[in-house]
Amino acid sequence: MNKCGSLSNLRIIDFTGELGPYASKLYTGLGADVIHIEPITGDPLRDVGPFYKNQAGKESSLQFVYYNSGKRGIALDLNKKNGRELFVELCKDADLLFESFPPGYLESLGLSYDVLSAVNPKLVQTSITPFGSFGPYSSYPGSDLTCSALGGFLYLAGIDNEKPVRACDNQSYRMAEVYAAVGSSIAALFAQRTGVGQFVDVSCMEAVGMALETAAQCWDLEGVLRRGRGREAGTATIHPCKDGFVALVAIMGRNKVMWDPFVEWMKDEGVEEWEIFDNANWINASYRESKEGYDLFCRIFERFSMKHTKQYLYDAGQAHRVAISPVSNGKDLLENPQLNYHEFWKPLYHEPVGGEVLCPGPPYDFGSLKWSLGDFAPIFGQHTAEVLVECGYSRDEINALDREGVIHVAKS
Amino acid sequence: MLPNLSKALEGIVVCDFSWVGAGPIATNVLGQCGAEVIKIESKSRPDLLRTGGPFKDGFNDGLERSGYFANRNPNKKGIALDMSHPKARAVAVRLIKKSDIIINNFRVGQMEKWGLGWDDVQKINPRIIYVTMSLQGETGPQKSYMGFGVNLNALCGLTAQACFPGERPFGTGTNYTDHVMAPSHTLFGIMAALLEREQTGKGQTVAISQLKSAISMAPMSAMAYAANGDILGPAGLGDPNAAPHGLFTTLGYRRWIAIAVFSEGEWQALKKVMGNPAWAEDRKLGTLQGRKDNEAALNDHMEAWTRGLHGDQLMAELLRNGVRAGVVNDARGAIEDGHLRERGFWSYLDHPVMGRTLYNRAPIRLSKTPLRMVTAAPLLGQHTREVLKGMLDYTDEEIATLTEEKVLV
Repeated sequence: MNKCGSLSNLRIIDFTGELGPYASKLYTGLGADVIHIEPITGDPLRDVGPFYKNQAGKESSLQFVYYNSGKRGIALDLNKKNGRELFVELCKDADLLFESFPPGYLESLGLSYDVLSAVNPKLVQTSITPFGSFGPYSSYPGSDLTCSALGGFLYLAGIDNEKPVRACDNQSYRMAEVYAAVGSSIAALFAQRTGVGQFVDVSCMEAVGMALETAAQCWDLEGVLRRGRGREAGTATIHPCKDGFVALVAIMGRNKVMWDPFVEWMKDEGVEEWEIFDNANWINASYRESKEGYDLFCRIFERFSMKHTKQYLYDAGQAHRVAISPVSNGKDLLENPQLNYHEFWKPLYHEPVGGEVLCPGPPYDFGSLKWSLGDFAPIFGQHTAEVLVECGYSRDEINALDREGVIHVAKS
Repeated sequence: MLPNLSKALEGIVVCDFSWVGAGPIATNVLGQCGAEVIKIESKSRPDLLRTGGPFKDGFNDGLERSGYFANRNPNKKGIALDMSHPKARAVAVRLIKKSDIIINNFRVGQMEKWGLGWDDVQKINPRIIYVTMSLQGETGPQKSYMGFGVNLNALCGLTAQACFPGERPFGTGTNYTDHVMAPSHTLFGIMAALLEREQTGKGQTVAISQLKSAISMAPMSAMAYAANGDILGPAGLGDPNAAPHGLFTTLGYRRWIAIAVFSEGEWQALKKVMGNPAWAEDRKLGTLQGRKDNEAALNDHMEAWTRGLHGDQLMAELLRNGVRAGVVNDARGAIEDGHLRERGFWSYLDHPVMGRTLYNRAPIRLSKTPLRMVTAAPLLGQHTREVLKGMLDYTDEEIATLTEEKVLV
């Protein structure tokens, strides 16, 4: 039975690594019991920076800490028969399984969805892979960059003949993970109502297809291959200021109602040549897109913006109902007054490094469900013994499995 | 009785007041999973995206030609209901009584003005999930600051690193946060509330912060600063754990190939595909660290090699040899890609005005209850009569009266 205000009745197995961990983190935040399984060689994400205090080490990857906090951690070897039996045992009582193995790998070990579902018909297994579990590319290796490229997302991150630039934090992985959380939750609701589980197939290349904005329709309806926005004067442009950059949307389409407050702001600031903005030319997208229009806009606006900080421009522009915002770096985010008003940044005491790691807080607030960051991300094998005891293994059996290298039990 | 086994969300009804970007994308996914989504608009307050391009054949004429609108709204029923009319609320209330989810992304206070704030709606239907979507939360010093996806990309930290060293930050070139981060977290929030309702029988509020959702998917710049005092600067196309890692020019107009080499084995495989050129045998390039230290020169060699080759052939050769590679597809490339086609990612749906046009489904394949792309985006008010009569039990006479009184326009 549920504790009120939590998803604690859900038991989740998370056997993912660099690709996958955000999916079950979403459940962790709402109180589900999530067991993160690592291979006996350790989760490869442990080796990926940035690291706490810039000291590389198995317990100090900030990514590992963020994506796995609140989960329990066990380590087992699927290459050993006992390890596979234990894995099936864990799946027997689980509602959800997340995994990011290459398609066919679990089948080759005799752990296909059919096998798991035979022991637990309500199990929802969600596979998160670069290309999905079937299709011509399914057996190929992929990375964030190649999936972003193939899905059409990367092409938009540039203008004219420019090479595209890549977004941070492996967005193609994150997109697949967040949709894996969505897909699995839909299947979980169905399983609760019918007792029928199913296999959920999520691919990074497909997930980036959600981020094409109008690009697919531009081709389908108008035969146009669009690229990114960013060089149409005042329409999604980035401008330098005294201490960085700001992003500005002063007009879209022919929307003069949007443009007027911007002109008013420039006038109130006494910007040199502000009168040039008070002209119907700027309502024309073709003028704003022209080199002449863009260069003129930058010359006038940036002479002003370079005198001010991004915070000043943010506050002053917004006071005039102009959609301007800072291009935040990490420092700006930690100092963001709105986020701090909500006490968004949550300290997590990460015992293995003996210090606090600051993590993002909840993306949403519920009337009843409570969000929490949970305990620090598990040390390698931290909960192996605890979880095996829950599965009915005796201390002697656990010690034997540990000695044989089937599992790893952290020494406390 | 078992529900219809072919739809995951059979029986779930959504009262959808959301418009423009993030809200309609979220309810679109619910519709594909079998929920009955009733989208509420009016002639005096149509979804603003109906006036956003691209338009069928480039003609911006009326409210029924926008592809921007269409792709966010298939599999929904559209009703025209002018909420500013005093008699409109009663219609909305009948719908709310039948709904499991009510969602809006208006400014705070709009729903309350119509007498449809949480306190009111909870009384009408205590099982309902009440979803709101604000940019930065409903309280706090910047709660009323405005912004589009491009602003939010910048504010959340995504744009700063999407930048080539020495140049202006660029970002994704799109309103990225609106399309993925906000709707996906909205969906998960809705589903979590529905899962809890299975236990408690009660509805609840779900308040999404678009900014916080975005940060949750791009947290490293803030975490690295907090832990180490480091500002993560322009990342270009590089990756600390891979080299070569970038986009390299191939034959054709705006053609590049992405190549990402992480392991020693992948480097050896790449060298083999390149025909083991002498430059690649340089001892300095024998380790990842060495390749990172000499990345500019390495990339020049790569570019010199790829620029005379066809991207698609090169990609096939690299993938066959275990090197991670992918051409930079433009939209046409992605639409015509054989892999996405075989997986049924794209579909074409018939629309009364636009004809047969392109849509994509959500990136979720459910083995037993597959997502379904059935109907094109609704015309404004296309299903008013069908919904009022078939679902809300209005008589023809009542519908005629409400139409005459300009409630259903």
